[in-house]
Amino acid sequence: MHSATASTLDATQPAPAKTGAQLVVEALEREGVTDVFGYPGGAIMPVYDALTGSSLNHILVRHEQGAALAADAWARVTGRPGVCMATSGPGATNLVTGLANAFMDCVPMVAITGQVASPLMGTDAFQEIDTFGITLPIVKHSWLVRDVADIPHIFAEAFRVASSGRPGPVLIDLPKDVTQASIHTPGVIACRTETPAVFPLDAQGLARAGQLITAARRPVLYFGGGIALSRAEDALKRFFQRTGIPAVATLKGLGAIPTDWPGFLGMLGMHGTRAANTAVNDSDLLICVGARFDDRATGKLDTFAPGAKVIHIDGDPAEISKLRAVEVGMAGDIGAILDALHPKMGDISEWQKTCADNAVRWAFRYDAPGSGVYAPGLLNAMAKAAGDKLIVTCDVGQHQMWVAQHCRFTRPQAHLTSAGLGTMGFGIPAGIGAALAEPDATVVTVSGDGSIMMNIQELATIRRYRIPLKILLLDNSQLGMVRQWQELFYQENFSEVDLYDNPDFAEIARAFGIEAFTLEHRSGEAEAIERLLSTRGPVLCHARIDPRENVWPLVPPGKSNSEMMEA
Amino acid sequence: MTHRIEIDFEPAEGQVVRLIGLVERRGYELLGVNFQPAAMGGKGRLDMSVRPRPGPRRMETLKAQISRVYGVLSVRELTAEPLRESA
Repeated sequence: MHSATASTLDATQPAPAKTGAQLVVEALEREGVTDVFGYPGGAIMPVYDALTGSSLNHILVRHEQGAALAADAWARVTGRPGVCMATSGPGATNLVTGLANAFMDCVPMVAITGQVASPLMGTDAFQEIDTFGITLPIVKHSWLVRDVADIPHIFAEAFRVASSGRPGPVLIDLPKDVTQASIHTPGVIACRTETPAVFPLDAQGLARAGQLITAARRPVLYFGGGIALSRAEDALKRFFQRTGIPAVATLKGLGAIPTDWPGFLGMLGMHGTRAANTAVNDSDLLICVGARFDDRATGKLDTFAPGAKVIHIDGDPAEISKLRAVEVGMAGDIGAILDALHPKMGDISEWQKTCADNAVRWAFRYDAPGSGVYAPGLLNAMAKAAGDKLIVTCDVGQHQMWVAQHCRFTRPQAHLTSAGLGTMGFGIPAGIGAALAEPDATVVTVSGDGSIMMNIQELATIRRYRIPLKILLLDNSQLGMVRQWQELFYQENFSEVDLYDNPDFAEIARAFGIEAFTLEHRSGEAEAIERLLSTRGPVLCHARIDPRENVWPLVPPGKSNSEMMEA
Repeated sequence: MTHRIEIDFEPAEGQVVRLIGLVERRGYELLGVNFQPAAMGGKGRLDMSVRPRPGPRRMETLKAQISRVYGVLSVRELTAEPLRESA
């Protein structure tokens, strides 16, 4: 499915000798890289030496995991590969969580690691670790560079592989002797590149899908992160509008159809809306687009949409019928497939009315009793106030689900969340990456008191580069989601979830030179939102919330989505 | 049930480990492996005998997952006859 071509990378004049490190920097510049997130160390020092004087904007993070997660968010917003860099040994292993995060969420990323010099490899040298081997399961591909002359074409290929097909992270491991070596680069550097596989439109599949849609009386459009990956949100919106088929989204799909559009029923799955899960459960046809029937969306798989036929459209043929057998499967350019699908609609007016009535009947309410800060209401109001410029980056836990349930999103890039891996600590580095990727956006990191401690050192990065990140910290002095599950499924045996001895987060932020304030009562929410969003520089709002507040609805683990629990 | 799959690929550092690892991580027990290294300028070939572990596993999905690995040229399912353990 691939064809190789050759391209030229450089001028035709013979060039002076260059080091491998210089070739690395040149390769990044040639790929149009603007921002590199990293942390220097012994084995990568030649590259850092070559960085000075380059056009690259290097963001010095305070932990390599922060570099990978910031690059991840940068890529999600721009659609281009994010770049992170670290030294060998612990520098490389600290990247691992970020690489896994990008792998699970199909985010294009190029990770560059230093390695001990080639003759030392395999000798247990200082800061030597098998980075190539450790990362094999969590990268789309990887290269261990053995020859300085290979650097230009390996980098060109790395960027192409990261962003083509099903995107993902790639890794380039650079032994120190390779980056230190010099070569006289030829006037013309031949670079082997490959044309990505192209899947022609499946005429038979389109016809069959059209027939199924025409015959359906209770169809549901179920879409996921594949929409944003393939930048198919406009095609999705066109399909949604011309068919009128009620729609539900996965966690990663949120925003592809604006969440306040009529006919959009919300997120499905474990913490999905009752309207969304009921529609899927009662549907007679499921049109799955850019989603993968993952367990958080489906609940007990063999009870998911039990009466529905399935049309599955995805960018990756490996996803078709992986978990759910389908009547029609089409792999390829999601946007092109959707634009080619113009079915004659049967009468689904009764179904549309049922879904719309359910959405109203089971809409979230924000009139909770009491005077304490109510996180769902706070988030709902914050997102409305921020408007279409909002980008939310989440950490992982209860607050992540509240964001998904209660924030308004008008584009998929507005909701950056660690969906597949569920990485606590994603929020702040992701906020840094998003703010650099889209400086005009209003970037808000919503975090919890457990998650924020996972990468709190990146407050120093925010301060250093004056990144105007707004941090909304929902502090219940608990590992809230674990506590909720222990309450519901472990007979209230609360084991190691009490964070009663949290530090004063506002004081911590101030110690990093970041403005901060604390929100204690619901009556102060409007003022807090105003201050959070209007502060020109970075700011942290430390909101104390009730530790007994749970995320509802909830599908218990191993249960059908029709067995939702409510408060 | 035992399956045999044959993978042709462009030789590259770590590619054999990458492919074997993928098959195991996707939930297949490896029963036998035969590796033919590439001749100069040629392709490598892996012939694997595998058995799916419990769960929703389809050979078509595994083949598609292998096919998308960088450098893989083709994936074929051969007869169900397993490779000899000594292979």
